[in-house]
Amino acid sequence: MTDAMTLHASSTAEMIVCDAVDKWYGDFQALKGVSATIAEREVVVVLGPSGSGKSTWIRCINRLEAHQGGRIVVDGVELTNDTRNIEKIRSEVGMVFQQFNLFPHLTVLDNITLAPRWVRKVPKADAEAKAMELLETVGIPEQAEKFPGQLSGGQQQRVAIARALAMEPRVMLFDEPTSALDPEMIKEVLDVMKGLARSGMTMIVVTHEMGFAREVADRIIFMESGEIVEVGTPEHFFTNPTEDRTKLFLSQIL
Amino acid sequence: MSGMITVEEAEEVVALPPEQPSLPPGEWIRKNLFSSIGNGVLTVLFALLLVFAFRGLVNFAFENPERDWDAVRANLRLYMTFAYPLDQYVRVWVSLGIVLSLSGLSAGLWSPDGYVSARRISTWFLGGGAVLLAAALAVQGQLQRDENGEFLIDEDLELIRGSWASGLGSRISWFALAAILIGAGAAIWFGLGDRRRNTFVRTVNLTYAGFGVIVGSLWVVRYGHYNGSPAEGTHYADPDSLVAMSTRLPWTVMWVLLGVSYFVGKAVRGWPLLKPLALTFWGLLPFFVFWVVLRDPDIDWAHVWTTDLPMYLAFAVIGGAVLFTLTNPSLGEIGRALAFVLLLVAVFTFVGGFFGWFSMLQKARLSFVFLAAFALVANNFAGEFAKRRTFVIGWLLTLGVMHYFVTLINSASTLNIRSDSFLGGFMFTIFAAVFGLMFSFPLGVLLALARTSSLPIFRLLATTFIEVVRGIPFITVLFFFSIMLPLFLPEGMEVAEHGAVIVGLVLFSSAYLAENVRGGLQSVRRGQYEAADATGLTTAQRTGLIVLPQALRVSIPPLVGQTISSYKETSLFAIVGIFDFLRIANNVVPNQSSPINFVGHKREGLLFVSLIYWIGSYAMSKYSQKLEKKLGVGSR
Repeated sequence: MTDAMTLHASSTAEMIVCDAVDKWYGDFQALKGVSATIAEREVVVVLGPSGSGKSTWIRCINRLEAHQGGRIVVDGVELTNDTRNIEKIRSEVGMVFQQFNLFPHLTVLDNITLAPRWVRKVPKADAEAKAMELLETVGIPEQAEKFPGQLSGGQQQRVAIARALAMEPRVMLFDEPTSALDPEMIKEVLDVMKGLARSGMTMIVVTHEMGFAREVADRIIFMESGEIVEVGTPEHFFTNPTEDRTKLFLSQIL
Repeated sequence: MSGMITVEEAEEVVALPPEQPSLPPGEWIRKNLFSSIGNGVLTVLFALLLVFAFRGLVNFAFENPERDWDAVRANLRLYMTFAYPLDQYVRVWVSLGIVLSLSGLSAGLWSPDGYVSARRISTWFLGGGAVLLAAALAVQGQLQRDENGEFLIDEDLELIRGSWASGLGSRISWFALAAILIGAGAAIWFGLGDRRRNTFVRTVNLTYAGFGVIVGSLWVVRYGHYNGSPAEGTHYADPDSLVAMSTRLPWTVMWVLLGVSYFVGKAVRGWPLLKPLALTFWGLLPFFVFWVVLRDPDIDWAHVWTTDLPMYLAFAVIGGAVLFTLTNPSLGEIGRALAFVLLLVAVFTFVGGFFGWFSMLQKARLSFVFLAAFALVANNFAGEFAKRRTFVIGWLLTLGVMHYFVTLINSASTLNIRSDSFLGGFMFTIFAAVFGLMFSFPLGVLLALARTSSLPIFRLLATTFIEVVRGIPFITVLFFFSIMLPLFLPEGMEVAEHGAVIVGLVLFSSAYLAENVRGGLQSVRRGQYEAADATGLTTAQRTGLIVLPQALRVSIPPLVGQTISSYKETSLFAIVGIFDFLRIANNVVPNQSSPINFVGHKREGLLFVSLIYWIGSYAMSKYSQKLEKKLGVGSR
């Protein structure tokens, strides 16, 4: 990995703190008092059946969804309705989506340099040099001048990762990054994510890739019905789960 | 200047995929028109219907003794520019020259890569020749006249015609032209043989050659001509003189200008900044042509030195300093706060001026608004010194252009005009359409954004405006603005009727444009908003950089449709009494009794006007199809 992913020296061990987070969609409670603390450099994989609130939770962490109860603190800044805090946190937290969400009217290079240039005010030449470095890291520097529509799904997702990294975030959120990919493209994306994890990035990954969870995660959080059911190391989680709901989930997928 | 030039140009063989081979004519007719008995019957039926529908029209256009095309050709200047003073007419040509030069320059800079195959060019020539031949053959016998030149009639009061062959004599030139066209078409077709499918000519060259043929024909063909001087009462149509003696030289100059500027544009293609510069000039062009070239303002230089220039310098220096400070990246929130204060000052001076609280100069008010707008976006240009300097230079230039135009607008026109405006005819139609589009487009986008905004007050205002305007017929809006606008203006402020109806057009079409843009906005997927948010873009950046570019691309077809409608709707100005293109055909020419009597000759004018409107609309619709295709690349 290049210096694009170097660490930020920081004394805060706690990068993200969630305290009794509640979230409703109308009458439906999507998150029921979710509490968790993620340390710096930690890689957390969130598992759980569909509709368990995993995606909702990580989308609350960069305020794509507003939570209605409890507190969320990212890198010492609490998420409230204050726009300045939201913009600050969003530029510190990178996000990768299931559907890539690349900007179809911009080239790959422009996709990556857009936010650094407009949010961080990085000069164009510097932003492009940095973008090429990141494309090198994710293995597709030759695609820089193409449009997203001309790339395969795996390549698009790697561009999306590069786009998030271009802001030099302190935390990366992955919302089912491989779920929309053809099987043969999943590996190329997971490899990039593994490299990122090894470089010391703080990551929260919502995924169904058990192999990835077992290999890379420092901790696994299992959610169901908007609650955190069980938290543990991969070894504990896959070999010796304590909760019945966890056992049921594992028996269904393994 | 015939088709032979094109054959030579066609020789430049370009590496393009050959056109799909098409069926031989016999096969095509069988397959497409007579594939079954039912289809055959329908084909014959519709062919007959077409013949009957157009027989009267063709007969009127070419044979009817009541029609007099001199009503159009003797009045071409009236049609194009209405009452523009003759002694200043060179200004019209200068305007056209500026427009054509900029067109040529842009064509050179962007070098559009459209191509037409030799086969298609050949079919155009053959088709054109065939139509002309048919029209020449469809002639009826020549009308018989007595020795005084009056038409002879029989006992049923019908006109007496000679034999069919007697009519052919008057069509010799038609046959000649048809022969040239068919000959040229055949020469391309057979001369190139199988290569006709993969031999291509640039559309730019072809268009230029076509324009050249038309201009060249002014020197050769006898179209009829308006001669003499109206003041001396010797104004008469002279069908035997060469066409438009007064216009053939200017048109030739125009043609050369277009070509030269094209090559200049091509030569300087690689230079930096030229494209944005050209676009800026296009944006300023309508204002420049209208207020500087055509209006011929009488600038009060004493006032400029004592008031205008000091005011510009004051705003330039103080505003520049403020903006330079605001772009300091470490400033953060103070910048936005100051921008809002400036905006309040700007709005306050406007509203205050409305009620007569301040006697502040219009220019100072506008300068405050401009400064506030710059201050609002200043944060986006924060950064290193060079970037801040560019931003401040942008401010100086924008302010300068604004002050320049306001000074011109406030100066009296020196033109000696007999009408209430020097604008009229097709020139006014063009200005109305261009100004209408320039102002209604941004307004429409803003309305669409307001209507989809999360702030209820914006949503309410935009929705109300759009729904009210869409519920009122355009003609009502026009009457409203031409008669009732003064009621809404502060005391002492006057808007010429021409301006008032353009305001009406802007408001009317902006409501429709807004709905088209809103359709585009809805097509942008939610994920795009989330991705923009997740990278930390502000709402304004998200809208300008991510959402609008995608929404506008989707809205191109309806937007062009709306533009075409606005262009055609300018003809309704005729009803509120403005001497636009249509009114000249419908009211002015049919009432001319001197120097030549054209009383009642309405149909010729209406046919002519329809043709011109159609050419404009068709060109726009063709261009939009091209644009769609071009922008579609790489988007999916």
